[in-house]
Amino acid sequence: MRAIKRSLVPLALSALAMAQPSDLLDGLQRFQRGDYAGAEAQFRDVLKKGDDATARTFLALVEAGTGRCREALPDLDKGFSDNRGADTQRLAGLALAQCQIRESRTEDAFRTLERLKTLYPDDADVLYQTARFYMGAWNQTVREMFQKNPASFRVNQLSAEVFETESKYDAAIDEYRKALAKSPQTIGLHFRLGRAILMQSHEAAALREALPEFEAELRLNPRDAAAEYEIAQVLLAEQKADDALPHLQRAADLAPDFPEALIALAKCRAEHGQNAAAIPLLEHAVELTPRSQAAHLALMLAYRNAGRAQDAQAQKEIVDKLMKPPEGEFSEFLKKLGERNP
Amino acid sequence: MWRGLPFVLGFLAAAPSPSVNPDFRNIAREAGLDRSFPNGGAVSKKYIIETTGSGVAWIDYNNDGYPDAFVISGEGGASRLYRNNGNSTFTGVTAEVGITRSGWGQGACVGDYDNDGYPDLFVTYWGQNVLYHNVKGKRFEDVTERTNLLQDHRRYNTGCAFVDYDNDGHLDLFVSNYLKFDPATTPKPGANPYCWYRGMPVNCGPRGLPFESNLLYHNRGDGTFSDVSVSSGVATPNQSYCLGVLTGDFNGDGWPDIFVACDQTPSLLYMNQKNGKFSEEALLRGVALDENGNALSGMGATAADYDGDGNLDIFRSNFSDERETLYRNRGGAQFDETTSIAGLARNTRFVGWGCLFFDFDNDGWDDLFLANGHVFPEVDRLNIDIHYKDRSILYRNLGNGKFLDISEQSGPGILEKHSSRGAAAADIANDGSLAILVNNQNEPPSLLKNHNKPVGNWVLLQLEGVRANRSAIGALVTVTAGGRSQRNEVRSGGSYLSQNDLRLHFGLGSAQRIDSVEIRWPGGGVQTLRNLDANRVIRIREDVSSAQAGH
Repeated sequence: MRAIKRSLVPLALSALAMAQPSDLLDGLQRFQRGDYAGAEAQFRDVLKKGDDATARTFLALVEAGTGRCREALPDLDKGFSDNRGADTQRLAGLALAQCQIRESRTEDAFRTLERLKTLYPDDADVLYQTARFYMGAWNQTVREMFQKNPASFRVNQLSAEVFETESKYDAAIDEYRKALAKSPQTIGLHFRLGRAILMQSHEAAALREALPEFEAELRLNPRDAAAEYEIAQVLLAEQKADDALPHLQRAADLAPDFPEALIALAKCRAEHGQNAAAIPLLEHAVELTPRSQAAHLALMLAYRNAGRAQDAQAQKEIVDKLMKPPEGEFSEFLKKLGERNP
Repeated sequence: MWRGLPFVLGFLAAAPSPSVNPDFRNIAREAGLDRSFPNGGAVSKKYIIETTGSGVAWIDYNNDGYPDAFVISGEGGASRLYRNNGNSTFTGVTAEVGITRSGWGQGACVGDYDNDGYPDLFVTYWGQNVLYHNVKGKRFEDVTERTNLLQDHRRYNTGCAFVDYDNDGHLDLFVSNYLKFDPATTPKPGANPYCWYRGMPVNCGPRGLPFESNLLYHNRGDGTFSDVSVSSGVATPNQSYCLGVLTGDFNGDGWPDIFVACDQTPSLLYMNQKNGKFSEEALLRGVALDENGNALSGMGATAADYDGDGNLDIFRSNFSDERETLYRNRGGAQFDETTSIAGLARNTRFVGWGCLFFDFDNDGWDDLFLANGHVFPEVDRLNIDIHYKDRSILYRNLGNGKFLDISEQSGPGILEKHSSRGAAAADIANDGSLAILVNNQNEPPSLLKNHNKPVGNWVLLQLEGVRANRSAIGALVTVTAGGRSQRNEVRSGGSYLSQNDLRLHFGLGSAQRIDSVEIRWPGGGVQTLRNLDANRVIRIREDVSSAQAGH
């Protein structure tokens, strides 16, 4: 029973158990205990006496879980469609998606998972199955690309991006450079290379090495707000705030909804004694990113420096709330554990 | 021609001294500071307690005018006191003076809590802290129990500072606490997501470990203390992992405030309410987080008026992959982060601990020293540019609100690699050239002495309170010379769990005379001395007889 974990079912069973005839209840209990052969026999007995949606769905769950996806698919599909709002629908949907993947019905699986995500947006099992689905699709596509176009710059680009996710920045830089040698006009490569250079080293020399890459990106795409922003960040790190300011202004002009650029521009303005000009930029930034501590903190300080104590206090309260870890966060769990111990 | 002469002279007087890089060398071994101080594992560390120790302290315990050195040890060794022989060498006197406690020593601070004229020594521990009463400069007596400083449970005490928070002339005591730690219950390396670093299992924490509250002890004036942590407000909020303590009158109201650097959680700024209570206001005042809204891993803290605007600014050392943090005081304890524009944002591979503003070249602008070393010895296995043992950092204050990293040009002492923690400065030879004592984990300490004579003139002020506390802790001093005024405070604690020389050092640049020294004593009395010679130690006793005392 690999596909359908027992941990998924107790809730459904407890709800169902109250109102079911004894054969079906026995089947559900066997299912919960992991006695799948016994459960299957019970469900089939129920169905011999007449159609029963619950028995049919759980029989399909047993079939799916024991590797008989092809047999299970029609009733899983029906169970997912018919049991609206019930936990059985969630179970049937998850099993349906798994079986569709196993039967290589990729488009059907995609549709099922998207529907599950709509119905159960916060459900860990749904998110897990969806992630696995996309991971499988990713792996297959990458394999095809490497087999069919091994010399393409896209292979180097993809390799670089993978290395970046593994924090192997030296290797990523090498691959980006290879990609650029093959395709120097491709938009985005210089930008990614510049970012990887900055991530690879803490030395000031990295700033000097990364800057030309962002400038090259900007030559390819003069409307690239992110490149303007990165150039400004390098210049700020090199204490060239006056030089950074026009880049930040252009980034904000090109992408008025780019919160990081708005915040950086506002800070630059404030440092140049233009606190009043900084405030509307920051007000827009908090509208765009209401959960950004950086935006609310910068706005709080701008209000404070403008003598708007009440507004500053209101922003402080928001920052206070944002700093608190969400309910149930792992650290809270550990903290509670720790507080019991000493 | 004669008309031009005064202008030329005036220009010369105000002209900055030429910049000469220092030549810091580690003279610890020849100075007699050659013993190692254990502090947990050197190759790997199982528990967080092995990562945070320890500090150092300068204390002129025998009042001979030369600061003596105290170095704190972790478990397995002894903290040691070294008497300054007056010739840049030291003699170990630990046993002779009765310093006996061992254990996981963390920090130290100095102050004359009983106003008997001899500075006392407080040492923090994971476990019971110790107050050593200085008996006439001859020996120390453990008076922890007698002074009501016993604790009701085992605490992870870290930073400390004597501070007369109620301006009654008796030094009170603030002690920061890191977290609740018990090796029996603390998860082992790799046990949960807070026990990993860059893919390696490492000691757990501070995240995931329970918070502990800070402590404030009120000096009753009869040789005992009472715990006022809760009533004063410093016990809340206990949602931060607290380390370095920095006191100062940040809003200039004549009452000392307390800044605490905190690890992975917001740093704290307790503002003195002048009624025995404090209000924690770090966030709104701009010193809780970095400018991106992140709570960094604050370790140590130091204060100076780095930009010469008359306000005390705050610097905090942080973890690797974080920037150091410089907060400029706009006045009234309203701070803005100026790390990047001040040129301090580039050294992000170091874990910073001891930090101190000090004027190494006596040009009248406080420079900045940082002691570094990672918490995880295991980091060396990664072969990246972050190391367990690393060099120090020295920034020159350019006098225009910016700093220049001159670490590579400042002598071999700065470039020596250690896993350093606490650091503190003192003029060990009374020659106007400050030396830095650094505690290095599992190694002898470093004593960094500048072998290039500072180009500027200087003065060293030793203050003695009469109505104010005798150590003059909290006295605000303004020195005016050569057309510039500089400010600093006499401060207990500071840096990372350490204690600088209580005497105040001012570089005077090319000025050979001091126009005035104005002292605002704790309690409000103001005393001014005029037209003083430079390049000497000046002892100033609080004048309570004249009208200018102004209490």
